[in-house]
Amino acid sequence: MNHFPQAWGRPRDDVYGSYDHSHFQTNGPNQHTQSPIVTGTSVVAAKFKDGVVIAADNLASYGSLARFTDVKRLRKFNDQVVVGFGGDVSDMQYLDRLLLSLDIRENYSSTENPLNAKNLHTYLAKVMYKRRSDFNPLWNHLLIAGLDGEDKPFLASADLLGTTFSSPTLATGFGGHLAQPILRKLLPDEASVERVSEEQAVEVVKECMKVLFYRDARSMDKYSIAVIKKDGVELKEDEKLENQSWAFAERIRGYGTQTA
Amino acid sequence: MASVFTGAPPQGGPGYSFKQTPTVALSGERQHSFYPYTDNGGSTLGISGADFTILAGDTRSTHGYNINTRYAPKLFKIGGEGPENKGSRIVLSVVGFAADGDALKERLDTIVKMYKYQHGKSITVAACAQRLSHILYNKRFFPYYVHAILGGIDEDGKGALYSYDPVGSYEREQCRAAGAAASLIMPFLDNQVNLKNQYEPGSGTGHDLQAKLAQPLPRKDVEDLVRDAFTSAVERHIEVGDGLQMMIITKDGIEETFTPLKKD
Amino acid sequence: MDSLVAQYTRPAFSEAGQSQEEQQGLSQASPELSLKFALPPVAQSASWLRAMTDDYSNPNCPIKIAHGTTTLAFRFKGGIIVATDSRATAGNWIASQTVKKVIEINNCLLGTMAGGAADCQYWLAFLGMQCRLHELRHKRRISVAAASKILANLVYSYKGMGLSMGTMCAGVTPQEGPALYYIDSDGTRLAGNLFCVGSGQTFAYGVLDAQYQYDLSDEDALELGRRSILAATHRDAYSGGFINLYHVKEDGWVKHGFNDTNPMFWKTKLEKGEFSNVTADLV
Repeated sequence: MNHFPQAWGRPRDDVYGSYDHSHFQTNGPNQHTQSPIVTGTSVVAAKFKDGVVIAADNLASYGSLARFTDVKRLRKFNDQVVVGFGGDVSDMQYLDRLLLSLDIRENYSSTENPLNAKNLHTYLAKVMYKRRSDFNPLWNHLLIAGLDGEDKPFLASADLLGTTFSSPTLATGFGGHLAQPILRKLLPDEASVERVSEEQAVEVVKECMKVLFYRDARSMDKYSIAVIKKDGVELKEDEKLENQSWAFAERIRGYGTQTA
Repeated sequence: MASVFTGAPPQGGPGYSFKQTPTVALSGERQHSFYPYTDNGGSTLGISGADFTILAGDTRSTHGYNINTRYAPKLFKIGGEGPENKGSRIVLSVVGFAADGDALKERLDTIVKMYKYQHGKSITVAACAQRLSHILYNKRFFPYYVHAILGGIDEDGKGALYSYDPVGSYEREQCRAAGAAASLIMPFLDNQVNLKNQYEPGSGTGHDLQAKLAQPLPRKDVEDLVRDAFTSAVERHIEVGDGLQMMIITKDGIEETFTPLKKD
Repeated sequence: MDSLVAQYTRPAFSEAGQSQEEQQGLSQASPELSLKFALPPVAQSASWLRAMTDDYSNPNCPIKIAHGTTTLAFRFKGGIIVATDSRATAGNWIASQTVKKVIEINNCLLGTMAGGAADCQYWLAFLGMQCRLHELRHKRRISVAAASKILANLVYSYKGMGLSMGTMCAGVTPQEGPALYYIDSDGTRLAGNLFCVGSGQTFAYGVLDAQYQYDLSDEDALELGRRSILAATHRDAYSGGFINLYHVKEDGWVKHGFNDTNPMFWKTKLEKGEFSNVTADLV
């Protein structure tokens, strides 16, 4: 008996050991899947009236080292869906193999309708949630772009915790801070999707890739971009940022050795 | 409670948990540093009336200070026919970690649909409420990080509302707010629905004051209360906003409405 | 050779989806109260669970489980009085003021709830199931001693896993007379005349011990139970709300109301002159 009534009914140190704050820490000894090693940065995507456009650069970083410069982070699935991967590249490659086996299985099965983006998103979200529940997450943030069962544009996300959400515009990682405001200016809500043409959507996504290259230190100027419409996927994997303007750079003051 | 009859704390052993500064854990190597939860913000609210139940939730989904999306529903129809839950009379609202919420919703939905297959009749809200408690408790040692509210119509045709804690303790109530803005909305509901701290006018002063007795509210009043609760919460909580999804359950079915909220 | 082939021809991504077992769990009408629990796949699951849920050691812990209570029960010549408050707290937040902390296990057995609300609700419901099965198997009602032992053995098997409950089982049977047991999540099981459990227990004991006699009349016993809880709700911040009062007799329990403490407090003060530490002047 003691004089801390608040503690009654709560775990006691002499029974359970002392409270272990380290469960909230993210450093310490790790298994390799417990933190990402080789990583890809943002993926950005936006809907337009007949489809979705999605883009990601071709860089895989090793910490702050720009390690691999031709890693394609957009993956086509059965000519109707594109999956964009942010986060760990080895887990991306695992998911790539997983999707390949799924595709093969689907092609052998006799179903009339191939998997659409909505189906694939549900599948991937379940995989991600299952792995987080096993405490062995796939360290990725995925964007799934394509068309749903009614041939309407579909864009949704699934992350390493299994969280899912859908929106007219989506961006992972740094893009969530830098690209989303730009994209939302063009596409503030679901209703505005009908008013945006393919050209406008591609242009704004390219603009986002440029802004990300200006400010995201883990990005590069070579990128992949895909447009998904009813008649199929148009995936370009060797695009280069155009019309860059670094004029803003000379006005930046206050970093590093610059003092004035 | 646990320490009622142990007398003095063990000498020389580890201290109690209520030492002012918790001591550092001495557990050995720990392999896992992955943290499996996040909070997606938002708020939900349920009020039951004489022959209806209203559940409501905002549609913002957040991650830290970022808005994931402005339309992520927190209300789900349970049971009924097919993926659209046609003919359903039960609604589940979940707030907290959205992925756990979705997993919970799908579990309950499957179970309720299987129940109809196996028993040839729709599940009652009371049975569904108890089943949900058991689903939550089955993960007692790895909880679903959600606050659930279940609404429906009971066997007497009255509005039924059940609220849950993350590990499944539950209670039937008149009204309940959950989630990020629960602490803003719940006191408002106590005052307006349960008429707490309201007295009969002219019943006297001081100790003579007669407390007002709570009556089931008409549907229109409840809808207005819900809207007021959310527009006020939006003003004072950063994780609440964008849209208000409402589901009104009556014996005739579920009516769904959507009202825009401020998007700042 | 076949086994070798089998080893390498299994589906490569079998771990990606739900297991067969998990899928069956959804479709089977499995017993609702089961002893199968999902465990976090970490080395020290109890320690992990505590890190997530112990809001006293870490007020910022993500999952706050409802806690806090005053409950009491005592034996007297007319049976057993069971009384509780109705407040549940999660950290400093009052999660509810209307919790039913007396759990009706069946029409002649009562359990009380202190500690984790879900733990008490689930395991007392489980106990109710076991009691009914006992009746069906043996064609007579279970004794309170046996019922409380089922519960004590159960929680003892989960010792160290993080359950938190302090409960009392009260019932009257022909062979035992009025019987009262205290069971907690450490595995303790004690028979006794009088118990108070929860964060407000000291305050309730203070009143109860001063007034308690085995020969109390029914009315006096009910009043004593009510007054003891009232004292606890007055002095313990984690107790409050309504007073839930039950009287257990041999032919079953009788409920004596679920009454708001606030008017009761003022009535006690103004009509009996107790609680003179509080001023009644309205300025």
